[in-house]
Amino acid sequence: MDITRVRALLAKEFIDLVRNRSALVPVAIVTVMSLVLPFGIAIAVPAFSGHPLGEDSDLVRVSQVAGVAGNLSNDARIQLFLFQQFLMMFLITPVTGAMALASHAVVGEKQARTLEPLLATPVSTFELLTAKVLGALVPTLAISAIGLGLYLGGIAAFAAPGVAAAMASVRTLLLTILVAPAAALVSLQAAILISSRVNDPRTAQQFGVLIIIPLAGLMVAEFSGSLWLSATALALIGVALLGVWCLLSLCSVALFDRETILTRWR
Amino acid sequence: MISASHLTRRFGQRTAVNDVTFEVGRSEIVALLGPNGAGKTTTMRMLAGLIAPTSGSIAIDGQALTRASGGTLRKRIGFLTEAPGLWDRLTIRENLRVYAGLYGLGDADRRIDRTLELFALHDRRATLAAELSKGMRQKVALARTLLHEPAVLLLDEPTSGLDPEVTRNFRMLLEARRAAGCAILVSTHNLDEAERLADRVAVLHERLVAIDEPAALRARLTTGRLIVRVAGDPAAYVDVVRMIVGPAAALSADRTTLTVQLPGGDRQTPSIVNALVAAGAEVVEVRPEMPALEDVYMHLMEKRVGAAGSGLAD
Repeated sequence: MDITRVRALLAKEFIDLVRNRSALVPVAIVTVMSLVLPFGIAIAVPAFSGHPLGEDSDLVRVSQVAGVAGNLSNDARIQLFLFQQFLMMFLITPVTGAMALASHAVVGEKQARTLEPLLATPVSTFELLTAKVLGALVPTLAISAIGLGLYLGGIAAFAAPGVAAAMASVRTLLLTILVAPAAALVSLQAAILISSRVNDPRTAQQFGVLIIIPLAGLMVAEFSGSLWLSATALALIGVALLGVWCLLSLCSVALFDRETILTRWR
Repeated sequence: MISASHLTRRFGQRTAVNDVTFEVGRSEIVALLGPNGAGKTTTMRMLAGLIAPTSGSIAIDGQALTRASGGTLRKRIGFLTEAPGLWDRLTIRENLRVYAGLYGLGDADRRIDRTLELFALHDRRATLAAELSKGMRQKVALARTLLHEPAVLLLDEPTSGLDPEVTRNFRMLLEARRAAGCAILVSTHNLDEAERLADRVAVLHERLVAIDEPAALRARLTTGRLIVRVAGDPAAYVDVVRMIVGPAAALSADRTTLTVQLPGGDRQTPSIVNALVAAGAEVVEVRPEMPALEDVYMHLMEKRVGAAGSGLAD
């Protein structure tokens, strides 16, 4: 792999994105929702309604699955449970990024008729796809990181005492620095694979939406309290996702058929 | 140098290019002519290493173009695609900068500046590609194609939609590249351009119908008629010419010109000129009637279609 070529393409992706910031609006909206929803439910609603979370016996019971040390108040324990569950929302951000950016990656170039001159250069398929993945991954993760910073900062500022400290766990660390980026890589790579196999961006997006199904299932299970992913489970999921990404990368290169893209797509 | 040997490309049941063999030497421009769907773009794409031939082989400067060698050989090839393919949200300079990176040009900034100067684009270097006219886009695309100073140039319909001034500048630029030793293959519909620009013309219609110098191609359709332009009324000299060519030869006169069939071939030309001068005619021009390249092209196409229709396509 020639890093100069990847860098050149990456520069193009970033310039393109800077001049088309609206492409990032869906990612930004999901990030804002990932912030507004948990703080609304865990902090604002109880404060305005006058009914603390700890009064709800069901919530108290469900929050036990978080396995939190008993020195937190019921309110704090429920807040911790909710904030940990809503952390999963940050897994959706990269999927949105995949839909917004990566699904256009190859088919968009083809439609703009910029792909043929690009493929006539010495750039290899692997270099092209690497640049496309990084071009979508970096801004998506940057927005996610900003959102996550605000999330954790908001917990420190507004949550009950002890919640912020309890959030600073191996589980949170694994979710934010391993599982979220790995999920981002998988969804972006899958979107790019799809983008190089279909012939219009809408089809790419429609297929791409399917990526959200396993994540939605995971979130429903977590919120219902029927599934609690321990740090070990998250580590295993992270590693598994990285393995899936490697497989998808290989498939993307193998399935990127230059001839078909150039001669069959219109 | 480009060498294509027995190139065939099929798409399913359809054969786009069939057993095409030709070479383009260093410092040579070959124009590829043919109707829509004749296989010009497919041939170009094969030569650029974008699609593989179903059979046959391609060599660039003696090195076989294969999937393995494609990446390396593409550094030596400049391919101007039918559509300019510029990134609209990037400026002219940024578009060139990305390609400089893709070709791994060490002195990218200097080369880009030189290319911008060469194409008189320096003042517009910060203009977004989206804001450019069709001609300007084509010009930038050509600048991009030449940025890495390729030894082989493949140009697919390069002057399509360009105004005459840009077209003329483009021709001068290609002549400069030819002088620099480039092997250049230009696909075009423009017969006048082919005639002006190309050292040889290849006529493609799935197969290679003909390849030769423009003059040699025209000579294939030589009419055997002589054009004589005289001052005054040409009709006054019809009888003089008739005495030399005989009563059966076709002979006509219009406002300025006598057109005469030469049953005895070129050797009758001096006698005709001598007789006209002796008769007091002021001879302004004498030349054999040569068909335009367009006539040759149409003739070759009709022949090809006729042969295909009767199952005699070679």
